[in-house]
Amino acid sequence: MRVSVRRAVAMTAAVVALLLAVLFSLAVGARAIAPAAVLDALLHGGHSDAAEVIRELRVPRTVVGVMVGAALAVAGTALQGITRNPIADPGILGISQGASVGVVLAIAYAGVHTLTGYVWYAFAGAAIASVAVYAIASSGRGGATPVKLALGGAAINALLVSVTTAVLTTRASALDEFRFWQVGSLSGRDADIAARIWPFLLVGLLLVLSVARGLDALALGEDVAKGLGQKVATVRLVGGLGATVLTAVGVAAAGPIAFIGLAVPHIARAIIGSDHRWVLPLAALLGPVMLLVSDTVGRVVFPPSEVPAGVMTALIGVPFLVTLVRRKAVAA
Amino acid sequence: MTKTDDRSAFGHPAGASERRAPGAGQPSRVRPPGYAVLRFRKATFLLHRRSAAVTAALALTLAAASLAYLCVGETFVHPLEALKVVLGHPSPDELVVGTLREPRMTVGLLVGAAFGVAGALIQTVARNPLASPDIIGISQGASAVTVGAMTFGVTSYTLLPYLSVAGGILAALLVYVFAWRGGLHATRFVLIGIGFAIALRSVTTLFMTKGDYLVAQQAQIWMTGSLNGRGWPEADPLALTLLVLLPFVAWAARAQRTAAMDDDTATALGVRLGRVRFGLVLLGVVLASVATGAAGPVDFVALLAPQIARRLTRTAQIPLLSSALLGALIVVLADLLARKLFAPTELPVGVLTAAVGAPYLIWLIIRSRSVRNGGTA
Repeated sequence: MRVSVRRAVAMTAAVVALLLAVLFSLAVGARAIAPAAVLDALLHGGHSDAAEVIRELRVPRTVVGVMVGAALAVAGTALQGITRNPIADPGILGISQGASVGVVLAIAYAGVHTLTGYVWYAFAGAAIASVAVYAIASSGRGGATPVKLALGGAAINALLVSVTTAVLTTRASALDEFRFWQVGSLSGRDADIAARIWPFLLVGLLLVLSVARGLDALALGEDVAKGLGQKVATVRLVGGLGATVLTAVGVAAAGPIAFIGLAVPHIARAIIGSDHRWVLPLAALLGPVMLLVSDTVGRVVFPPSEVPAGVMTALIGVPFLVTLVRRKAVAA
Repeated sequence: MTKTDDRSAFGHPAGASERRAPGAGQPSRVRPPGYAVLRFRKATFLLHRRSAAVTAALALTLAAASLAYLCVGETFVHPLEALKVVLGHPSPDELVVGTLREPRMTVGLLVGAAFGVAGALIQTVARNPLASPDIIGISQGASAVTVGAMTFGVTSYTLLPYLSVAGGILAALLVYVFAWRGGLHATRFVLIGIGFAIALRSVTTLFMTKGDYLVAQQAQIWMTGSLNGRGWPEADPLALTLLVLLPFVAWAARAQRTAAMDDDTATALGVRLGRVRFGLVLLGVVLASVATGAAGPVDFVALLAPQIARRLTRTAQIPLLSSALLGALIVVLADLLARKLFAPTELPVGVLTAAVGAPYLIWLIIRSRSVRNGGTA
């Protein structure tokens, strides 16, 4: 099959998968609703119980799921490209941890106890963490090389973890609240959260997409990228900024969902090759699929309680990643 | 293996001058820069000067830190009295130093050294500076099994360490089996390790939300890693295990050079990489699991110590001895702070290991004179 045809098929399949996942997420839950009734409630409104459940609970939750999934997947792809490290993701590089510190401090000292209240603290934390990582990596000779970025990220992550645990072990009441946020979940996310984060999502996506060519060039090595006329530092800066905004969006809305930022980029690359202009959109489609399916399965697997999406994503995603990584050589 | 050494871009050309300067006593003309030649009768050793200096400095710092650990606390003990107790002379401070602080410090030293070496080995094989036992699933395996046992009502503190050792080794075994495909590819190994780590952490968090609040808090402290209440019962089996493993570590220090090569170079030189890597990973896993069993997964020691050590010695490989000393140093200093910082409240040591190690690594990164771009690990 020609490359362009293959890419078109892959993208179409991903769009279809996303639509199915959305429908699945709207229809399945503690109260199963037939797909026809879902469409009916969406298109014609109505005041039956089923229509209320869909409009008030499941639509916001699904919308947030789509946004978070896309944000984390694209952030992971960008970070893996920038650091040229296949295991880089928002979690390992300390950005999610920055958001976590923001939330912990909000719970323990600022008296914030609502999900919408956490959002800004998570944003601020993520931003500060990634500025710190970039500042460390770009100082000294040689600028922000991949190894320095990765190690600086790991060091900042370590520091922030110790801040989080220090607060949690000394303020017991914060732990009780935080442990539920930390799991990562879509449950109880309402339209208000979606309304707050969508502008950031848009900005982040645009920033990362604008350096897609630059990421391709970086993959060939710094010298080659310079030879090809790319401004290496600008690519890293803009891409890193986009990834930070996206991570903050994801973590602020749903808590640190670990797996998507790591696995989805690899899955996308395995399907569509290494051209970032295709990998990024495909990741943006596959991230939500993975998150929504995990969230929906988590709702029904142990009724009446829900398994949080953060847990389900890892449990569903790991076999996927393992098969994939075993199947072919991994491109870094 | 020695034949490959002088050509390997990664190895110190250790055997080289031995062969080229056969006559004992005849001064070697091909001594590589930065090395000193030691002669003992007919044997000749090459010593990397900077590594030796760093190791000596670390050993001294560690000794000073240990002494400080014994002296500082709720009551201050004079250093001379503390030394007396350690050397077995009668002293009025026998109880505080000998019974309370010394055993706990011993556990800290051993745990730190074990994590340091484990991290060095795993980073070497994975050829990735981000790989460490707490990233490729060993700590998470230990945590999942231990927290699961806590949630389902196992409260025996004699049983939990063994469970966590078993959990760590089991997790590593799973990662290895799934990552093996006609060889151990470094990236595949790390990726599958992280995958398992995330899955196992999810399971752990699930256990924590299922259990009641007290269990969650207890589990949180265990997962942070703590030396609180640790003493000879933990130190003795740990010391014994490490002693048994010592010859293997000595082997690892040599084998490291070949394991750090990329696949093509190694194959071309005829090195059986699979076995060497398996040996190194196994050793790293056992060390990390045993240490985790004794003190819980003390985060980041295994990640930070080898990276700091390598930046200090400026060698191509991660130096094992310096990593061990640095690991021990980080844990002892962190525990000293953990006891003292918010006294009388005692923090778990894992909270502060990163606070002690990370700033130093950050400083090293900032003032680095470009550690060979992309460096092996």
